Amino acid sequence: MVDQQDRTVKWPEDVAREMSEGRFDTAEMVLNVGPQHPATHGVFRLLATIDGEVLIDAEPVIGYMHRGYEKLVEARDYRQITNLVSRMDWLSGISNELPMWMALEKLMEIEVPLRAQYMRVIMVEMNRILNHLMFFASFGAELGAITPTFYAFREREDIQFALEMATGGRMHFGYMRAGGLKEDVPKGFFAQALKGVRQVIARLDQYENLLIGNEIYKQRTLGVGVLSQDMAYSYGVTGPIARGSGIDMDVRKDDPYLVYDHFDFLVHTAPNGDAFDRFWVLLHEVVESARIVEQAIEGIPSGPVLGKVPRVIQAPKGEVYVRTENPLGELGFYLISDGDRRPYRMKIRTPSYNNVSVLPPVLKNTFVSDMIAILGSFFFVLGDIDR
Amino acid sequence: MPVTERIPVDEAVERARAALSGRAEVTSNQGAVDVTCARPDLVGVVQTLRDTDGLRFNFFSFLSAVDWSEYPVEEGEQARELEVLILLYAPERALHVAIHVPVPFDDPTCPSITSLFGGAIWHERECHDLFGIVFGGHPRLVNIYLPEDFDGHPGLKSFKLPTRSLVKEWPGAKDPDEAAAGGR
Amino acid sequence: MHIDIVLTAWQMLIVKLLVILTLVPLVSLVGGYALHKELAHLQHRLGPMYPGGFHGVGQTLADGIKFILKEDIVPANADKTVFKLAPALIYVPAILLYLVIPIDKHLIVEDLDVGIFYILAIGAVAILGTLMAGWSSANKYALLGALRAAAQLIAYELPIVLTAAVVAMLAGTMSVVGIVEAQNWPFVLWPPGIGLVAFLVFVTGAMAEMTMPPFDMPVAESEIITGAFTEYTGMRFIFSFFGAEMAHLVAYGAIAATLFLGGYKPIVPWGPLEHIPGVIWFVVKVVLMFFVMIWARFTWPRLREDQLQKFAWKFLIPVSLLLILATAAWILYAPESLWTR
Repeated sequence: MVDQQDRTVKWPEDVAREMSEGRFDTAEMVLNVGPQHPATHGVFRLLATIDGEVLIDAEPVIGYMHRGYEKLVEARDYRQITNLVSRMDWLSGISNELPMWMALEKLMEIEVPLRAQYMRVIMVEMNRILNHLMFFASFGAELGAITPTFYAFREREDIQFALEMATGGRMHFGYMRAGGLKEDVPKGFFAQALKGVRQVIARLDQYENLLIGNEIYKQRTLGVGVLSQDMAYSYGVTGPIARGSGIDMDVRKDDPYLVYDHFDFLVHTAPNGDAFDRFWVLLHEVVESARIVEQAIEGIPSGPVLGKVPRVIQAPKGEVYVRTENPLGELGFYLISDGDRRPYRMKIRTPSYNNVSVLPPVLKNTFVSDMIAILGSFFFVLGDIDR
Repeated sequence: MPVTERIPVDEAVERARAALSGRAEVTSNQGAVDVTCARPDLVGVVQTLRDTDGLRFNFFSFLSAVDWSEYPVEEGEQARELEVLILLYAPERALHVAIHVPVPFDDPTCPSITSLFGGAIWHERECHDLFGIVFGGHPRLVNIYLPEDFDGHPGLKSFKLPTRSLVKEWPGAKDPDEAAAGGR
Repeated sequence: MHIDIVLTAWQMLIVKLLVILTLVPLVSLVGGYALHKELAHLQHRLGPMYPGGFHGVGQTLADGIKFILKEDIVPANADKTVFKLAPALIYVPAILLYLVIPIDKHLIVEDLDVGIFYILAIGAVAILGTLMAGWSSANKYALLGALRAAAQLIAYELPIVLTAAVVAMLAGTMSVVGIVEAQNWPFVLWPPGIGLVAFLVFVTGAMAEMTMPPFDMPVAESEIITGAFTEYTGMRFIFSFFGAEMAHLVAYGAIAATLFLGGYKPIVPWGPLEHIPGVIWFVVKVVLMFFVMIWARFTWPRLREDQLQKFAWKFLIPVSLLLILATAAWILYAPESLWTR
């Protein structure tokens, strides 16, 4: 045993004596979790200082996927930006397009027809189901349960098929326009969407039993990674993570946009703020989304899907902040327009950026294995953090 | 907390004016309260907005910067330079407040609000990275996105995105051998 | 038909070596394929379908060939001798375990008098191999994995040893064939209670010895990649990780079947069942053990390291000690008529 600092050799007798005297000289190890690691969702690096199996300090290092969105959008027409911002939270492509078009419609005072609003709700909620099922798959896999992954992907297939029927894409859609949607949905879309959504509702009990009811799963997630409400407020944590800490905040209810006030759905919160609660909220939100889609498909009126828009999409001078409930949290676009066809400045407030910034205090003094469980329960997408 | 008190924006503007008592200019814009204040008053203003009953803007949304140098200036308006933009949220009232802090180009500093909101730690680092603003009192002001030796601040309007012919040379090694010999 | 084959001792030795050296890799191949297929069908998918033509039977063989053709990388900072030696210390004990597995009364490579003792001792050598692999890799993840493995494998040796001791006490011999012969009713059914609990403890301990989920902290794929074997590539990886796991799985399944399920004897001593040859019974039991262990493997998430240790030291080992006491009491005080030897 060579001690790196002063190059003296410690014989076993010395080590034994030190241990019995109560001072065992342990060294801290700096472990780089990532940027290539199976458990971090993407190129995410965590500089962990560990002492044995306990994490003393954790510093996330981001920016491996920084594409400079806020600079790129300043040189692009609004319709080009749609496809760009789809690639932020790539698990729910259409939810990223929505706030941008809403901000533009607010500045330009365009009215969106009712059918388009219902369709937007249907699409966004289906994307929410896709997103949450993906996290269901990956959380189980990180804890070692590899089976839920396959069940979740089976459910996603039906919904992605429906979305492909309407938009042509399975992940990135480019379907929204100023004043509504690009085009109306084909025949059979509603039937397929209903089928996919009803299957999710029917099978949710299975998922709950498979993962949440599992003794070992409970041991791994109860009390792990507790996020207090004060910390969530101070860091601006939103979405299922905040609701898992008992904060009853959902943009769809607080500040209803589109036609969310026409639907009857619950906002689930859980009191404890540990990994178990966050995941519980996630699963139950899937059911609520499915119910919203059902109600929307039943109540959707006929009519145009594109409102009256001028030929050139040009926002007047002004500033506006529009936010929506992205599956990961609150996605907001602060749009400053100077009257041109391109935005002057578009600040994109992404949910994962704030959610991940709260990791250093949450990860203090946890085990290495708990770190993985906490990272998994924090539902972030790299494209959302790095923009 | 669920929304407990829904008030019209003008009422919130009145309350904010009363609480801030002249330290800042308060108006409303598109359904949100709009506050403009000077740099030295920033920490006090944010603390007042956060702690006053009746306002309680205690949820941190984001902190960013805007480079107004290329904005078309109308007659009677003054040309603006840089500006730090802070957005806070009051969950009990479902209201936002946007705080604008003008920052000149020749002295790009601003006091840090990390003592009030922990979320500002990363957001101020991003501002520093992309706009070059130095936040006084920040615990660890290093680049968050770009490498330490990056030249320039891309968020500024003066940093033009290069077209293909003007692209800078790739600063690292091009061959595996060069890389082994010590290139990046 | 009775054929008398008389071979010299040296010829017997060579025959036995050949049998073992072909049997064990074959078992790894077939076991690997069975694993892929079972996992797939229980996860609502098909598994290997193309290699080998019919339902992917050539999958593991193709994998093996691929691994042989891979580049042999030894990290620059690694301790080369130890690094290269470690896979041997993991795979060779797996092969040696097969020496004392009784497929039928006389179909055993070598019926050692100290059968169980030998099994337990050889099984413990793999711990050393894992530690060597992790330490010599010059990789922090490998080190984490190796230390976790060392702690876990040592902790779970004890339940296996103690429950094997229970079986040895009940059978009155350590020889494997002797143990099977002593089981008129398999030990899992008689003595009531003791046998079943011992069986469950043994299987749990065996799964932990093989670092299978829910005890696979040392090779927790989503955390420390492959733990101690992260830096291994190609054939070294197969020998230390996957091949050894398959070989161990079937070996421990066979040992559990031998010690508790009655080995090559029928599951219950009922007349008509005794006409079925012992080999068939043995294969059926091993397949059953294999199936159940894989099933448990992919259903549960993994226990955290400290929870794992708690489970071993605060639960399994006290239970095993109680079992020894109970067995001793049974042997001393149960009336002769209850003993169905």
